[in-house]
Parts: sequence; structure tokens; C-alpha cells
Amino acid sequence: MQGFSDGITGADLAQLQSTMHTIEVACTSIQMQINPTAAEATILSLSQSPQRYKACQFILENSQMANARFQAAAAIQDAAIREWGFLSTEDRISLISFCLCFVMQRASSPEGYVQAKVSSVAAQLMKRGWLDFTAAEKEMFFYQVNQALLGAHGVDVQFIGVNFLESLVSEFSPSTSSAMGLPREFHEQCRTSLELNYLKTFYRWARDAALSVTNKIIESDAAIPEVKVCTAALRLMLQILNWEFRHDTNSMKAGINVFSAGVRRPECVLVQPGPAWCDVLISSGHVGWLLSLYAALRQKFCHEGYWLDCPIAVSARKLIVQFCSLTGTIFPSDNGKMLENHLLQLLSGILQWIEPPDAVSKAIEEGKSESEMHDGCRALLSIATVTTPFVFDQLLKAIRPFGTLTLLSTLMCEVVKVLMTNNTDEETWSWEARDILLDTWTILLVPLDGNGGDAFLPREGKQAAANLFAMIIESELKVASASVANDDGDSDYLQASISAMDGRLISYALIARGAIDVTIPLLTRLFSERFERLHQGRGIIDPTETLEELYSLLLITGHVLADEGDGETPLVPSAIQTHFVDIIEADKHPVVVLSGSIIRFAEQSMDPEVRATVFSPRLMEAVIWFLARWSHTYLMPFEEAANCHLSHDYEHQHQSIHSRKSLLSFFGEHNQGKIVLNIIVHISMMTLMSYPGEKDLQGLTCHHLLHTLVRRKNICYQLVSLDSWHDLANAFTNEKSLFLLSSANQRSLAQTLVLSASGLRNSEASNQYVQGLMVHMTTYLVELSNKKDLKSVAQQPDIIMSVSCLLERLRGAASAAGPRTQRAIYEIGISIMNPVLLLLEVYKHESAVIYLLLKFIVEWVDGQISYLEAQETASVIDFCMRLLQLYSSHNIGKISISLSSTLISEAKTEKYKDLRALLQLLSSLCSKDLVDFSSDSDEVAGTNIAQVVFFGLHIVTPLISLELLKYPKLCHDYFFLLSHILEVYPETLPQLNSEAFAHILGTLDFGLHHQDLEVVNMCLGALKALASYHYRETCAGKTGLGSHAAGQGNLPEGIFSQFLRSLLQLLLFEDYSPDLVSAAADALLPLILCEQELYQRLGNELIERQANSTLKSRLANALHSLTSSNHLSSTLDRVNYQRFRKNLNSFLMEVRGFLRTM
Amino acid sequence: MSDEEHHFESKADAGASKTYPQQAGTIRKNGYIVIKARPCKVVEVSTSKTGKHGHAKCHFVGIDIFTAKKLEDIVPSSHNCDVPHVNRTDYQLIDISEDGFVSLLTESGDTKDDLRLPTDDNLLKQIKDGFAEGKDLVVSVMSAMGEEQICALKDIGPK
Repeated sequence: MQGFSDGITGADLAQLQSTMHTIEVACTSIQMQINPTAAEATILSLSQSPQRYKACQFILENSQMANARFQAAAAIQDAAIREWGFLSTEDRISLISFCLCFVMQRASSPEGYVQAKVSSVAAQLMKRGWLDFTAAEKEMFFYQVNQALLGAHGVDVQFIGVNFLESLVSEFSPSTSSAMGLPREFHEQCRTSLELNYLKTFYRWARDAALSVTNKIIESDAAIPEVKVCTAALRLMLQILNWEFRHDTNSMKAGINVFSAGVRRPECVLVQPGPAWCDVLISSGHVGWLLSLYAALRQKFCHEGYWLDCPIAVSARKLIVQFCSLTGTIFPSDNGKMLENHLLQLLSGILQWIEPPDAVSKAIEEGKSESEMHDGCRALLSIATVTTPFVFDQLLKAIRPFGTLTLLSTLMCEVVKVLMTNNTDEETWSWEARDILLDTWTILLVPLDGNGGDAFLPREGKQAAANLFAMIIESELKVASASVANDDGDSDYLQASISAMDGRLISYALIARGAIDVTIPLLTRLFSERFERLHQGRGIIDPTETLEELYSLLLITGHVLADEGDGETPLVPSAIQTHFVDIIEADKHPVVVLSGSIIRFAEQSMDPEVRATVFSPRLMEAVIWFLARWSHTYLMPFEEAANCHLSHDYEHQHQSIHSRKSLLSFFGEHNQGKIVLNIIVHISMMTLMSYPGEKDLQGLTCHHLLHTLVRRKNICYQLVSLDSWHDLANAFTNEKSLFLLSSANQRSLAQTLVLSASGLRNSEASNQYVQGLMVHMTTYLVELSNKKDLKSVAQQPDIIMSVSCLLERLRGAASAAGPRTQRAIYEIGISIMNPVLLLLEVYKHESAVIYLLLKFIVEWVDGQISYLEAQETASVIDFCMRLLQLYSSHNIGKISISLSSTLISEAKTEKYKDLRALLQLLSSLCSKDLVDFSSDSDEVAGTNIAQVVFFGLHIVTPLISLELLKYPKLCHDYFFLLSHILEVYPETLPQLNSEAFAHILGTLDFGLHHQDLEVVNMCLGALKALASYHYRETCAGKTGLGSHAAGQGNLPEGIFSQFLRSLLQLLLFEDYSPDLVSAAADALLPLILCEQELYQRLGNELIERQANSTLKSRLANALHSLTSSNHLSSTLDRVNYQRFRKNLNSFLMEVRGFLRTM
Repeated sequence: MSDEEHHFESKADAGASKTYPQQAGTIRKNGYIVIKARPCKVVEVSTSKTGKHGHAKCHFVGIDIFTAKKLEDIVPSSHNCDVPHVNRTDYQLIDISEDGFVSLLTESGDTKDDLRLPTDDNLLKQIKDGFAEGKDLVVSVMSAMGEEQICALKDIGPK
């Protein structure tokens, strides 16, 4: 700001100096930790002081203390962003140019962080005014920056110039921009404008800056100041290439892989700047320059000031890697020629970093930095992302006798070898290299066309994949057997080890499928070797190592043979479908051989003696996991799946269809399928009964294996006809050992058995089957509840256990209710209604049992409610109300005390869970009004759900304290229910008594100030519903909410007045997410209409409070246009709501800035 | 009479028994367990394996229901543990004597005078204040393995 120093009078100067002194003292006291809060307040007040800009500029120019200068810069930023609207154009420009001049003039200052701050302030202000400045004004700033970059004022200024552009680009990039309290559109417009008009220019400037110092750097042997400029320029170029270009829309691979679920997506950015960038990036020999710069740097690593990880080398390498991700329309459509040349050029530069692999890995093991090798791997990953496997492989053939895939394979084999030799838990360089290279394989091998066809590798590539897979298996087996020795007790669980390995296992599977005809026989051989070893060594040698190897092999093989369904039925992987065309006999098909050998092995676990020596719980877990995954894909596959084909290869089609069919039908219903299914059911039953207390194994059997089976209808048909399935059902009702399963398994097993009823002929048979399954349990509960001495008997631990167990089973069965079994499940529930209430009474102190009871009822009502006829509904609702009343009478006013704080918090959690269940119960009752399958559609005899739910809410709300609403899930459920009820049945609200009414509104007010966006949204929705209901009713001459709205007794104000106040307070003075403004507008409009007088008064008060007259008139105008602009009327229709939303948005933008700060 | 009926009868006779055996794997969080001869409420259960290919064992953390001391135990999950018979009875409070004993009314109309006031300050205050105000109070008495203690309080008086 010129003219700043002149015109300062003596008094001003003294004032400024004293401000500077105060700030300096505050900065020192923060650093010394003396009364930091007061010091902080002093510093914050700087941005609000009357002479803020002057004072800040004075401090920046005169203070000797770097910290004070930093704070002054921050204060300018703070004040200017806030007051931007009132500043004149000259003021704006002078602030920016002050900052720019300041950094340029003090370019050599040693306090880099102050410079960086001032530069970022300039960048931020520039963006704030970006859409207002004229082209000439912008030109003026950029001329200055360009001069700096050209090096006219020396190296330091050059560096500062680059630095400023860096801040500017990051300010304009959406992910790194700072908040300015402006709508998203503003940021978007700035982004687009910069991308289209300036970004390329900046890139060119950065490149020229780097070029201008390149020769000096290359010629000099020691570190020189120019290196700093070059590094910064490289960084800026990298930053620009990281820009998320939107202009180029027809991108190549982006968005295609959306459907390849389950595969880990390596984070690899595609750089797609569009055709306009071709001249700068490609055709000008830019890449050649970059590669030769790095090559020259490599020569210097032995010199002082340079090393492999010095900043300039790191930046150069990163930029080179970034260039590998260049793709899209920047390359002309010349069949990929230019892209290939570009990549080849890069690849030949990168080769020195990774070739020869063995020498590179040896050097790293001897202490060389691994970063160059990692960057080489990353470059391969980037290249893989922008090419097809075929092109990828071809690239290297131009300069080497082998393809890139072979290089990739040898490189990775080398890494795996290193991993194998020093097997530690620490993350070594080889870990990271392996992960990057695995990602590369994944990218190459993941199906591209979205219809499940695997990418095909060229022949040489297949060989490479086969070699690599053999190496991987060798290493995994070695790791497995070694892990037995360093056993650290309770580390590995199956689920944990699968998810930890999952990303890797999926990639392994892709590699294996790349060379499927070699890898399947390899796996078969490895399995049979280990089976043999176990067989021969039984009782003689400790089998643990072999068991652990089998464990790993099972996990890997499961992934190779089948995909995770993720809720869908996975098809046989297409690599397996399309290979093995010359196999004529199904039982010789390698996949059949492999699967068969594993199933036969699993079957041996039925023999108690073998089980004791070989099938440890851990191995059994892997077996069950494998069977579940395998049977989901191969066991009795759908006929259509067998007939559809994916092959692109017409020559082989006939033969390949034959081979595929023989594979698919081998385990079908009419072939071996039934036998295998029988084996699987037997094995499942055995794990449930013969592995007492092995929760994980049993959980896997129940949740994973059995669930997988009953999910498919054609398997259910077979299951219900199997004797073994009936044995399981019998055991479930009678066998004592199955009562010992853990609760979740208990529930899941009941659910599974009920679900299998869908395989029966008709609903009569299904209902009968379910009834047979559950009748023992209901009889038990009925008889128990009829006992005269129920009270004392029920407290016995063994009775508590049986009751809990039965309730879990009933809950499982209730959750499996479908149209076919609904009747039976309904009867079950009805028959134990009274027992449930009696048990609720006797177990009132036994919170665990109470919770199970409630959960069962919730699950049961949820499954039944939509099917029930009017009379049934009435009785179910009556029952629920009795349940709610009973529960509430036990819990209201109860004080439990314990010495242990753990037990107290446990008790709180239990209460929270109970209430959550009750709220869910009310929500399901609500759903009856929305989804109703009952036959009588006329609502004559129907119960009024609204009243019921309100009554329920009446009972439950006193139990819900604000304390309990701090549990997020409960809070969420509660407000969900509340807003639903208020929106759908506002007319029933006035019927509540005043206590309950006040409580509900109290919670609503609490919800409005909640942290969770969704909760606030729901509350606003509820408020809107209430107020608009009241407004409509009163307009129609009715009472609406009547006395509640008018205010009575100890509440002089009506509820709407209160909410109007608190909502305005929230909107104007508090922090909230901008996403809420629309919902708030929808609630505010009816509130204003209900309470117009109060609104006027509040508005006037607000205006009165404003001391500054400009702001006063501004506020008055804004308030006026809030309710009058856009033809806002006083009706509550859609159009009007939309207008008000717009009005509120502009109102807030206009006034919030100064209301909040002054 | 069905089998189940008989089953109850026999157990009811065994009501004197202080503990019951139960498989460790079936004892859940919030259930009860005897650890070092003390009745505890289970606040944490975790399972682990003895060695990589060994069997599962359960690790229990329990809190003594009378003294609130924390106790831990590890049991193979297929073995049995003792589970205490924890009984809770509600009595109406009739009197508080000066020596710290309470007088309670049983369901059959007798009085029970052998119970001390609880040691917990909060509960003690609630009982004394409530009693002084003339409220109708119901106390829950928890008993297990031969010990008894007042554990909860509920005001059933008119609102």
C-alpha cells in the first residue's frame, strides 16, 4: 500500500507503535506459556480493532519479531475475508499488492514461515475477489509474479514467485481451498476459471523458471541456491499435474471399474488435462528434459549436497511418476502411438532405478535408500493404469528381449525373496514394494469390461504370472510354517487374518487366474503333498507346521477358485470357465480334482480319531470358510448360469462350452451335488456338536456356511429332502449340546432352519415344519410361566440360561419370517404373549433377560405387523401397550446404585439398549400405516395407529432423559420416530397431556442444537410439520395446537414463539453446517407466519442493537427483503418454500458476517 | 405331567444350592460367575486359543456384586464354571433403626430385621431422606452365596 507511510501523524504513529508492542508482548507470553488465554484474546482482537489494516501493515513492516508479523498477516486475512463486502475495490487491490510487494521485497528473509503465510494471504484474497476483479487488474498482479519467475530480481524472488503460485493453485483446488463462508458455486467458478485461463500459463512459467537454472545446476558440483528454485518449480509442476482436470470429459479408464467390487482400488490419480496441454507436456520435449535432469542429478549423488532423497531428486522423481499417469485426450487418436512413445521414453528412464532387480535389491539390503526403487514401482503402477496388459507388455520389447510383464514378475519375485529371507513383522522396504507391485498386477488383471471377463495376458505374460504365483505360494507357505515357531498366543483369528490378507489374497487370486492352467494343478499337488505328510506322520511327528500350511493354502485356494458374493451369487470366474477346453471328462477337470480332494479331506474330520489329531479348531475354521465360499459358487449353480457364455473366442467356443458345462453340472443337483451337500451338512452338525465352546468355529458354521446354503432356493429344495438336515433340526430341538451354543449362533441357527422351510412344497408344509421346530420351546415357556413358584424358580441360573437360550432362538425364528412361514411364526408369538409379560415381571432385575425379551418382541412385531388383519392388529397392539406399560412401571423412579463405576455404566448401557428396542417397536408399529398386506383394506375396524404410537411415546418418553440422548444411535432412533410421527400425525399431538408435550418439545429443542447433522435435520422437519399444521388449521378457523401454541401457566410464551426465537438465534449467531440452511428455511417460514408479531419485534430489536448506521440500514434492508423479495406470499406451498429458501440464503450471506463478529 | 414339569420340581428342591455348573463358553457378558469364591457380574468376556492350533479358552473379567472388586479368571471354554444363584427380592421399608439396621415387610406379612443399611452414600441418603419425608419406599435386596445387600430403591408413593 503506497502512501501508507505518508500522512501518518505523530499521534497515529504512537498509537500504532503501542499496538505493535502489545501484540509482541502477547506473542512472547504465548511462547513462554504465561497466561496464554489472555494473550490469545489480545491477538484475536487485532483483527477487530478499529485501525486493523493499518496496524497490521505497520507490524509487518516494522516488527522485529517474526511471530508478531505472522499474527499480523493472519489478522489481515481474517478481517479482509470477513469484511470483503464493504471494502472498496482500491482497498482490496492495495491489500493484495501490499502482501505481494512485502514478500518480494523481503525475499531473502530467513523466516520462511512468515513469507509463506503472507503469500498465502495474498493468494486467498486474490481468490476472494477473483470473480470481481477485471482482467486488467489480474494482469497487473500476474505481471509482477511473472517478472519474479523470470529471475529478473534474483534467485530469492524467483523462489518467492513460484511459492506464491503454489499457494494460489492450492487455494483454487477444491480439496485444499480454505473456507470463506461462500456457497460451493463460488469455489467451482473460480476453479473452472483458473483451469481454463491460467493453469497452463503457470505451468509454462514454472517450467521456464526450472529451465533457466538447469544448466547452472548440472554444471556445478556443489549445492547452489538455484537448486531451491528448481525444486520449488518441480513441486509446482507436480501440483498442477495433480489438479483434478474437469475440462477433458471423455476420459479413458475412469469410472469403468465401478463394478469390480471387492477389488482393492489402489489410489492412483489419472492425469487428464485435455488436448490443449499437448504442446507443453508432450511435443515440446519436456519429458526428455526432465529425464535428463534427473539422470544428471543421479551422477551427482556422490557429491556434497546431493543424495538420493534430497528434495530436488524427490520432486523430480515424483514428477516423472506423475507423467506416467498422463492419459486422456491430450494424446491424439493415433491408435495410441504417441502414448506408447511417451511411456516408452519414461520407461527407459525409469529402468535404471529398478534394473537389474537382484542388484537393486542387494544394494538396498546393503544400505542404499529404497525410495528410488519404490518410485520405480509406482511408475510401473501408473503405466499399468493407463494401458492394457498387452500394450504394457509390448512397451519394453522395443528395447529389451523380454516384455514388461516379465520385468514386473522378476522384480516382484526378487521382492518376495527378500521378504522370505528376513521375515519380520516390521514394515520393511520390501513390504511396501510388494504392495505397490501387487497393486500393479491387480490393475492389469482386473476385468475391464465390467461383464466379468478377465483380462487376457499375452503368452509370455502368462509364464511370468505362473512363475510369480509359484514364488508367492512358496513364500506364504514358508511364512506359515515359520509362524508356528514364533507363536504369540492369541493373535490370529480367521476373520482377522482373512481381512488383513484380503487385499493381498484377491491380488494373488488374480495372478493365479492369469495362468490358471498351471496354477490349479500346482495347488492340487501342494495339497496332496501335505495330506500325504499328515497321513504318514500321524502320531509320530508334530503336525502343527503342516496344519498351518494347509490353513494358508485353503485361504489362497478359496480366493483363486471363487469370488466373494457380496450379497450376489458369484459366477465361476471367467478364467476358469474359458480355460481347460480340452478336458472332456468332467471328473478329470482340474478344478473338480482340486475341489474333490479338499472335500474328501474335510470329510475325514467326521472320524473322531482323525479329528483329534489333525482337525484343530483353527484348521477346521479354514475348512468351513472354504466350504462356504466354494459352495456359494460351485454347488448346484443355477441352470441359466451354466448356459450363459462370455467367451470372445469363437474358434474354441463349442469346445469351451462343453468343458464349462461339464464343470458346472458336475456339482449340480443331478450329479454329485446332493452327495456333497450331504457331506457339508454332516460336517456342519459335527462342528456344532463336537467342538464344545469353540465359538469362532461355530459362528463361522452358522453365520457363514449354513447361511450361504439356505440363501439359495434350489439348495433349500435339496436340503429339506436330506435326512441329515432333519437330523440337524432334531438335534436343534432336543440335543443338549446345541443349547450350549453362544447366543448369536443360537439365533442364527434358528433363523437358518426356519429359512430352509422355503424349500418345502407349499405354505402349509412350511408352517407345519416351523411349528414342529419351535413347539417344544413355546411349551417350555408356557409351562414355566404357569409354575406357582415361578418367582423363585426363575432366578436359578440354569433356568435363566434356558430361558435366554429359548428367547434367542425365538428371536432368530421371528427374524426369518417370510410370507410362507408367517402364520406359524404368528401363532408362536401369540401363544407366548402371556408368558412374555409374566417373564418381564419376574426378570425385572435381570436386565440381560429383559433385553432378549424386548428384542424378540421387536423382531416378531416387525416381521408380522404388515400381514395382520384388523383384529389381530388390535390384539398385537394391545399386547405391545401392556408390555410398554409394564416395562415403564418397573423402571420409572428406580435408583440402582453400585459401588462399581463399571457396573453403573453397564447399567446405563443396558437401559439405553432397552429403550432403543422399544423405540424400534414403536417405529415398526408406525409402519403398519404405510405397508399393509392384510385383506381388509377398509379402515372401519382398523385401530388408529397414530393414537397407539402416541400413547407408546407417552410411556417411553419419561424414560428418555437428555443424558440418554447422548447415545448417538438412541438419539437417532428417537428423533427419527419423533419427526415421523409429527410429520404424519400432527393432529394427535394436542391430545397429549401438558407434561408429555413439554417433554417432547424439550427434546426437540435439544435436538436442534445437536452435533449430528441428520438429527438437526429431522428436528427441523418435525418443527416444519408442527408449525405448518398449526398455521393451516388456524387459517381455516380451527384451533390447531390450541392452548399449547398460545402459552399457558408457567410458560407465558407459546411453543412457536420459543422455537422462533431459538431458531433465529441459531441461524444468526451460532455455528452450523451450511447444508442445514434449506431445512431451516422450511421450518422458519411457517414459524414466522404463525408468529408474525413476534417476528416483527425480534427484527426491530436486532436492528436497534446495531450501533453502526451503515450496518443498521443494511440489516434493515436484508430483513425486509427476507420476507418480501421473490414475490413471497403467505401460503405454504412448494413454490413459496423454494422462494423462501433462496431469500434466507441471500439474507444470511448478507448479514451473518458482521452479526457474528460485532 | 410332562418331563419338563418334573425337571422344574427337582431344581426347585435344589433351590438351597448356592451355585450351578455351567459351560464356560456359554457364560455371557452381564451374566454371573463365581471367581475366587466370590459372586461376580461378568463385564467382559474374551476368547483366545491355547497355541495356534489349540482349543479356545475364555477370559472373564468380573465385578464382585457385593464389594465391587474386580476379579479375573481364565477357563478353557469347554469346561464348567460355577454360576452363583443371585436372588433379588423387593420389600417395603417400614423402619430404620438407630443402630443402622432396617426393618422390612415381606410378602407374607412378616418383618425382616437382620439387614443393615447400605454403605453406599448416595443410596443411603436417598433411603434416609425418602423415609424421613414419609414416602412409600420399596427396596430390592440382592442375595447370593449367603450374603445379602440392599441394591436398589424405588419410590411407589403417590406422585
